[in-house]
Amino acid sequence: MAVSFASRCSRVGRSLMGGLGNNFCNLPSTSSEMTCGSFLSQQQRTFIQMRTVLKVVDNSGAKKVMCIQALKGKKGARLGDTIIASVKEAMPNGKVKKGKVVYGVVVRAAMQRGRCDGSEVKFDDNAVVLVDKQGQPIGTRVFGPVPHELRQKKHVKILTLAGHIA
Amino acid sequence: MRLEKCWFCSSTIYPGHGIQFVRNDAKIFRFCRSKCHKNFKMKRNPRKVKWTKAYRRLHGKDMTQDSTFEFERKRNRPERYDRNIAENTLKAIKKIDKIRSDRAYDHIKNRLKTGKIQRQKQARKQLEQDIHLVKAPLALAQDSSLHLPKITVNVSQTWTEENQPMEE
Repeated sequence: MAVSFASRCSRVGRSLMGGLGNNFCNLPSTSSEMTCGSFLSQQQRTFIQMRTVLKVVDNSGAKKVMCIQALKGKKGARLGDTIIASVKEAMPNGKVKKGKVVYGVVVRAAMQRGRCDGSEVKFDDNAVVLVDKQGQPIGTRVFGPVPHELRQKKHVKILTLAGHIA
Repeated sequence: MRLEKCWFCSSTIYPGHGIQFVRNDAKIFRFCRSKCHKNFKMKRNPRKVKWTKAYRRLHGKDMTQDSTFEFERKRNRPERYDRNIAENTLKAIKKIDKIRSDRAYDHIKNRLKTGKIQRQKQARKQLEQDIHLVKAPLALAQDSSLHLPKITVNVSQTWTEENQPMEE
Protein backbone atom coordinates (compact mmCIF):
# COMPACT_ATOMS: atom_id res chain seq x y z
CA MET A 1 0.00 0.00 0.00
CA ALA A 2 2.57 2.49 1.15
CA VAL A 3 4.81 1.73 -1.78
CA SER A 4 2.10 2.23 -4.35
CA PHE A 5 1.08 5.44 -2.65
CA ALA A 6 4.67 6.65 -2.71
CA SER A 7 5.12 5.80 -6.38
CA ARG A 8 1.94 7.60 -7.29
CA CYS A 9 3.04 10.58 -5.26
CA SER A 10 6.42 10.78 -6.95
CA ARG A 11 4.78 10.33 -10.33
CA VAL A 12 2.51 13.26 -9.66
CA GLY A 13 5.48 15.26 -8.44
CA ARG A 14 7.49 14.57 -11.57
CA SER A 15 4.56 15.39 -13.83
CA LEU A 16 4.10 18.75 -12.18
CA MET A 17 7.81 19.44 -12.67
CA GLY A 18 7.48 22.38 -10.34
CA GLY A 19 9.93 22.89 -7.52
CA LEU A 20 7.26 23.46 -4.96
CA GLY A 21 4.99 20.63 -6.06
CA ASN A 22 7.95 18.31 -6.21
CA ASN A 23 9.05 19.10 -2.68
CA PHE A 24 5.60 18.76 -1.31
CA CYS A 25 5.10 15.35 -2.83
CA ASN A 26 8.60 14.05 -2.11
CA LEU A 27 8.31 14.59 1.60
CA PRO A 28 6.02 11.66 2.38
CA SER A 29 7.40 9.53 -0.43
CA THR A 30 11.02 9.68 0.77
CA SER A 31 10.10 8.56 4.25
CA SER A 32 8.22 5.56 3.03
CA GLU A 33 10.96 4.76 0.54
CA MET A 34 13.51 4.85 3.33
CA THR A 35 11.63 2.23 5.30
CA CYS A 36 11.05 0.23 2.16
CA GLY A 37 14.73 0.39 1.20
CA SER A 38 15.95 -0.69 4.60
CA PHE A 39 13.52 -3.55 4.56
CA LEU A 40 14.85 -4.63 1.18
CA SER A 41 18.44 -4.38 2.22
CA GLN A 42 17.97 -6.72 5.15
CA GLN A 43 17.75 -9.79 2.94
CA GLN A 44 20.15 -11.24 0.43
CA ARG A 45 19.29 -9.90 -3.03
CA THR A 46 19.65 -12.24 -5.98
CA PHE A 47 19.10 -12.44 -9.73
CA ILE A 48 15.84 -11.59 -11.43
CA GLN A 49 14.51 -15.03 -12.27
CA MET A 50 11.27 -16.73 -13.10
CA ARG A 51 8.36 -15.45 -10.91
CA THR A 52 10.17 -12.29 -9.81
CA VAL A 53 7.63 -9.46 -9.68
CA LEU A 54 8.96 -6.15 -10.94
CA LYS A 55 7.63 -2.63 -10.89
CA VAL A 56 7.01 -1.01 -14.27
CA VAL A 57 8.42 2.51 -14.34
CA ASP A 58 7.02 3.91 -17.58
CA ASN A 59 3.62 5.05 -18.80
CA SER A 60 2.87 1.97 -20.91
CA GLY A 61 -0.08 1.13 -18.66
CA ALA A 62 1.30 -1.92 -16.87
CA LYS A 63 2.01 -1.56 -13.15
CA LYS A 64 3.50 -4.88 -12.16
CA VAL A 65 4.98 -7.63 -14.30
CA MET A 66 6.24 -11.09 -13.42
CA CYS A 67 9.42 -12.36 -15.02
CA ILE A 68 8.89 -15.58 -16.95
CA GLN A 69 12.22 -15.80 -18.77
CA ALA A 70 15.60 -14.06 -18.67
CA LEU A 71 17.00 -13.71 -22.16
CA LYS A 72 20.60 -13.84 -21.00
CA GLY A 73 22.42 -15.67 -18.28
CA LYS A 74 21.86 -19.06 -16.74
CA LYS A 75 21.00 -17.85 -13.26
CA GLY A 76 18.76 -14.99 -14.28
CA ALA A 77 18.75 -11.38 -15.37
CA ARG A 78 20.71 -8.53 -13.82
CA LEU A 79 20.76 -4.78 -14.16
CA GLY A 80 20.44 -3.83 -17.84
CA ASP A 81 19.40 -7.26 -19.11
CA THR A 82 16.25 -7.96 -21.08
CA ILE A 83 13.55 -10.27 -19.76
CA ILE A 84 10.25 -11.68 -20.93
CA ALA A 85 7.44 -10.99 -18.49
CA SER A 86 3.72 -11.35 -18.09
CA VAL A 87 1.64 -8.38 -17.01
CA LYS A 88 0.11 -8.97 -13.59
CA GLU A 89 -1.36 -5.54 -12.87
CA ALA A 90 -2.30 -2.90 -15.38
CA MET A 91 -4.12 0.40 -15.60
CA PRO A 92 -7.65 0.06 -16.95
CA ASN A 93 -7.01 2.15 -20.07
CA GLY A 94 -3.35 1.60 -20.87
CA LYS A 95 -1.56 0.38 -23.95
CA VAL A 96 -0.66 -2.88 -22.27
CA LYS A 97 -3.35 -5.16 -20.88
CA LYS A 98 -3.23 -7.59 -18.02
CA GLY A 99 -2.12 -11.08 -18.97
CA LYS A 100 -0.07 -10.04 -22.00
CA VAL A 101 3.45 -11.32 -22.52
CA VAL A 102 5.89 -8.42 -22.92
CA TYR A 103 9.62 -7.73 -23.21
CA GLY A 104 11.28 -5.49 -20.66
CA VAL A 105 14.67 -4.00 -19.78
CA VAL A 106 15.71 -4.16 -16.12
CA VAL A 107 16.56 -0.53 -15.28
CA ARG A 108 16.86 -0.95 -11.51
CA ALA A 109 17.91 -4.01 -9.58
CA ALA A 110 18.41 -4.43 -5.86
CA MET A 111 21.23 -6.87 -6.50
CA GLN A 112 24.56 -5.15 -6.92
CA ARG A 113 26.19 -5.10 -10.33
CA GLY A 114 29.84 -4.43 -11.13
CA ARG A 115 30.67 -1.34 -13.12
CA CYS A 116 33.32 -0.99 -15.76
CA ASP A 117 35.84 0.51 -13.31
CA GLY A 118 35.39 -2.27 -10.74
CA SER A 119 33.10 -0.52 -8.29
CA GLU A 120 29.53 -1.68 -7.75
CA VAL A 121 26.08 -0.16 -7.98
CA LYS A 122 22.75 -1.21 -6.54
CA PHE A 123 19.26 0.24 -6.34
CA ASP A 124 16.31 0.32 -4.02
CA ASP A 125 13.94 -1.95 -5.95
CA ASN A 126 13.53 -4.10 -9.05
CA ALA A 127 12.08 -2.06 -11.89
CA VAL A 128 11.57 -2.63 -15.57
CA VAL A 129 10.79 -0.56 -18.69
CA LEU A 130 8.65 -2.33 -21.25
CA VAL A 131 10.04 -2.54 -24.78
CA ASP A 132 9.00 -4.24 -27.99
CA LYS A 133 10.99 -7.00 -29.66
CA GLN A 134 13.21 -4.48 -31.45
CA GLY A 135 14.13 -2.79 -28.17
CA GLN A 136 12.10 0.40 -28.63
CA PRO A 137 10.28 1.46 -25.45
CA ILE A 138 6.49 1.14 -25.49
CA GLY A 139 5.85 4.06 -23.14
CA THR A 140 6.92 7.64 -23.68
CA ARG A 141 8.25 8.43 -20.20
CA VAL A 142 10.60 6.78 -17.72
CA PHE A 143 10.42 7.45 -13.99
CA GLY A 144 13.20 7.41 -11.45
CA PRO A 145 16.95 6.91 -11.82
CA VAL A 146 18.43 4.57 -14.43
CA PRO A 147 22.05 3.40 -14.74
CA HIS A 148 24.30 4.73 -17.50
CA GLU A 149 25.24 1.16 -18.44
CA LEU A 150 22.09 1.08 -20.60
CA ARG A 151 24.10 2.96 -23.22
CA GLN A 152 26.39 -0.01 -23.68
CA LYS A 153 23.32 -2.22 -23.97
CA LYS A 154 22.05 -0.02 -26.84
CA HIS A 155 19.08 1.39 -24.94
CA VAL A 156 19.87 5.05 -25.57
CA LYS A 157 16.18 5.85 -25.99
CA ILE A 158 15.46 4.89 -22.38
CA LEU A 159 18.38 7.01 -21.23
CA THR A 160 17.08 10.07 -23.03
CA LEU A 161 13.62 9.61 -21.55
CA ALA A 162 14.94 9.19 -18.01
CA GLY A 163 15.15 12.14 -15.66
CA HIS A 164 18.06 10.96 -13.53
CA ILE A 165 21.04 8.94 -14.65
CA ALA A 166 23.08 7.27 -11.92
CA MET B 1 39.73 10.85 -12.51
CA ARG B 2 37.11 11.83 -10.00
CA LEU B 3 37.71 11.16 -6.33
CA GLU B 4 34.51 10.88 -4.34
CA LYS B 5 33.95 11.04 -0.62
CA CYS B 6 32.44 8.16 1.32
CA TRP B 7 28.98 9.00 2.64
CA PHE B 8 29.64 7.33 5.96
CA CYS B 9 33.25 7.96 6.92
CA SER B 10 34.12 10.81 4.48
CA SER B 11 37.27 9.09 3.27
CA THR B 12 38.31 9.40 -0.35
CA ILE B 13 37.02 6.77 -2.76
CA TYR B 14 39.41 6.02 -5.59
CA PRO B 15 38.04 4.68 -8.88
CA GLY B 16 37.10 1.02 -8.76
CA HIS B 17 36.61 0.92 -5.02
CA GLY B 18 33.50 0.50 -2.95
CA ILE B 19 29.83 0.30 -3.77
CA GLN B 20 27.19 2.88 -4.49
CA PHE B 21 23.55 2.72 -3.59
CA VAL B 22 21.00 4.71 -5.57
CA ARG B 23 17.83 5.50 -3.71
CA ASN B 24 14.55 5.82 -5.60
CA ASP B 25 14.67 9.62 -5.39
CA ALA B 26 18.00 9.41 -7.28
CA LYS B 27 20.16 10.30 -4.30
CA ILE B 28 23.46 8.46 -4.55
CA PHE B 29 25.18 7.08 -1.45
CA ARG B 30 28.77 6.10 -2.04
CA PHE B 31 30.68 3.87 0.34
CA CYS B 32 34.41 3.31 0.43
CA ARG B 33 34.26 -0.28 1.72
CA SER B 34 31.84 -2.90 2.98
CA LYS B 35 32.37 -1.70 6.56
CA CYS B 36 30.75 1.63 5.75
CA HIS B 37 28.05 -0.03 3.63
CA LYS B 38 27.13 -2.40 6.43
CA ASN B 39 26.95 0.42 8.93
CA PHE B 40 24.62 2.27 6.57
CA LYS B 41 22.42 -0.81 6.26
CA MET B 42 22.31 -1.03 10.04
CA LYS B 43 20.94 2.55 9.94
CA ARG B 44 23.77 3.91 12.04
CA ASN B 45 24.23 7.63 12.19
CA PRO B 46 27.78 8.62 11.16
CA ARG B 47 27.66 11.45 13.66
CA LYS B 48 27.35 8.95 16.48
CA VAL B 49 29.97 6.48 15.33
CA LYS B 50 33.31 7.46 16.79
CA TRP B 51 35.67 6.57 13.98
CA THR B 52 33.97 8.67 11.29
CA LYS B 53 35.04 12.09 10.15
CA ALA B 54 31.56 13.47 10.93
CA TYR B 55 31.88 12.49 14.59
CA ARG B 56 35.36 13.93 14.90
CA ARG B 57 34.31 17.21 13.31
CA LEU B 58 31.23 17.46 15.49
CA HIS B 59 33.10 16.81 18.72
CA GLY B 60 35.98 19.16 18.07
CA LYS B 61 38.60 16.48 17.47
CA ASP B 62 39.53 17.81 14.04
CA MET B 63 40.00 21.18 12.47
CA THR B 64 36.83 22.44 10.85
CA GLN B 65 37.88 25.86 9.64
CA ASP B 66 41.27 26.05 8.07
CA SER B 67 42.79 27.49 4.94
CA THR B 68 44.11 24.06 3.92
CA PHE B 69 40.56 22.97 3.14
CA GLU B 70 40.50 25.55 0.38
CA PHE B 71 42.89 23.36 -1.59
CA GLU B 72 40.53 20.39 -1.38
CA ARG B 73 37.52 22.35 -2.52
CA LYS B 74 36.52 21.71 -6.08
CA ARG B 75 34.12 23.11 -8.58
CA ASN B 76 31.36 20.71 -9.44
CA ARG B 77 29.31 22.50 -12.04
CA PRO B 78 28.61 20.55 -15.21
CA GLU B 79 29.50 22.60 -18.25
CA ARG B 80 27.80 22.27 -21.59
CA TYR B 81 30.19 20.92 -24.20
CA ASP B 82 31.73 23.54 -26.44
CA ARG B 83 34.64 22.71 -28.68
CA ASN B 84 36.44 26.02 -28.21
CA ILE B 85 36.13 25.95 -24.45
CA ALA B 86 37.42 22.39 -24.33
CA GLU B 87 40.41 23.36 -26.47
CA ASN B 88 41.27 26.37 -24.35
CA THR B 89 40.91 24.36 -21.18
CA LEU B 90 43.34 21.77 -22.45
CA LYS B 91 45.81 24.51 -23.19
CA ALA B 92 45.33 26.15 -19.81
CA ILE B 93 45.71 22.97 -17.76
CA LYS B 94 49.50 23.23 -17.63
CA LYS B 95 49.48 26.77 -16.33
CA ILE B 96 46.65 26.17 -13.87
CA ASP B 97 48.45 23.14 -12.51
CA LYS B 98 51.62 25.16 -12.01
CA ILE B 99 49.79 27.98 -10.25
CA ARG B 100 48.03 25.52 -8.01
CA SER B 101 51.19 23.70 -7.00
CA ASP B 102 52.99 27.01 -6.43
CA ARG B 103 50.23 28.21 -4.17
CA ALA B 104 50.29 25.00 -2.18
CA TYR B 105 54.07 25.26 -1.87
CA ASP B 106 53.90 28.87 -0.65
CA HIS B 107 51.17 27.98 1.78
CA ILE B 108 53.19 25.18 3.33
CA LYS B 109 56.26 27.39 3.49
CA ASN B 110 54.36 30.12 5.32
CA ARG B 111 52.90 27.60 7.69
CA LEU B 112 56.31 26.19 8.58
CA LYS B 113 57.75 29.64 9.23
CA THR B 114 56.12 30.08 12.63
CA GLY B 115 57.40 26.69 13.71
CA LYS B 116 60.93 27.65 12.85
CA ILE B 117 60.73 30.87 14.88
CA GLN B 118 59.32 28.99 17.83
CA ARG B 119 62.04 26.38 17.68
CA GLN B 120 64.75 29.05 17.65
CA LYS B 121 63.16 30.79 20.60
CA GLN B 122 63.02 27.55 22.51
CA ALA B 123 66.64 26.76 21.75
CA ARG B 124 67.73 30.19 22.95
CA LYS B 125 65.78 29.75 26.16
CA GLN B 126 67.25 26.33 26.76
CA LEU B 127 70.74 27.68 26.28
CA GLU B 128 70.17 30.44 28.78
CA GLN B 129 68.67 28.10 31.35
CA ASP B 130 70.88 25.07 31.01
CA ILE B 131 74.31 26.48 30.24
CA HIS B 132 75.28 25.81 33.87
CA LEU B 133 75.18 22.09 33.15
CA VAL B 134 77.97 22.51 30.64
CA LYS B 135 79.96 25.11 32.49
CA ALA B 136 79.90 26.03 36.20
CA PRO B 137 78.21 29.37 36.77
CA LEU B 138 81.24 30.81 38.57
CA ALA B 139 83.60 29.93 35.75
CA LEU B 140 81.11 31.32 33.29
CA ALA B 141 81.06 34.63 35.13
CA GLN B 142 84.85 34.81 35.19
CA ASP B 143 85.39 33.77 31.61
CA SER B 144 83.93 36.57 29.56
CA SER B 145 84.44 34.71 26.29
CA LEU B 146 81.78 32.15 27.17
CA HIS B 147 78.91 34.64 27.19
CA LEU B 148 76.45 34.13 24.44
CA PRO B 149 76.35 37.57 22.79
CA LYS B 150 80.11 37.92 22.73
CA ILE B 151 80.55 34.55 21.13
CA THR B 152 78.18 35.41 18.35
CA VAL B 153 79.90 38.71 17.70
CA ASN B 154 83.29 37.01 17.60
CA VAL B 155 82.11 34.33 15.22
CA SER B 156 80.44 36.77 12.90
CA GLN B 157 83.58 38.89 12.81
CA THR B 158 85.80 35.95 12.03
CA TRP B 159 83.39 34.93 9.35
CA THR B 160 83.45 38.30 7.70
CA GLU B 161 87.22 38.32 7.92
CA GLU B 162 87.37 34.91 6.37
CA ASN B 163 84.78 35.68 3.78
CA GLN B 164 86.31 38.89 2.51
CA PRO B 165 89.58 37.35 1.32
CA MET B 166 87.58 34.54 -0.24
CA GLU B 167 85.55 36.96 -2.25
CA GLU B 168 88.55 38.86 -3.34
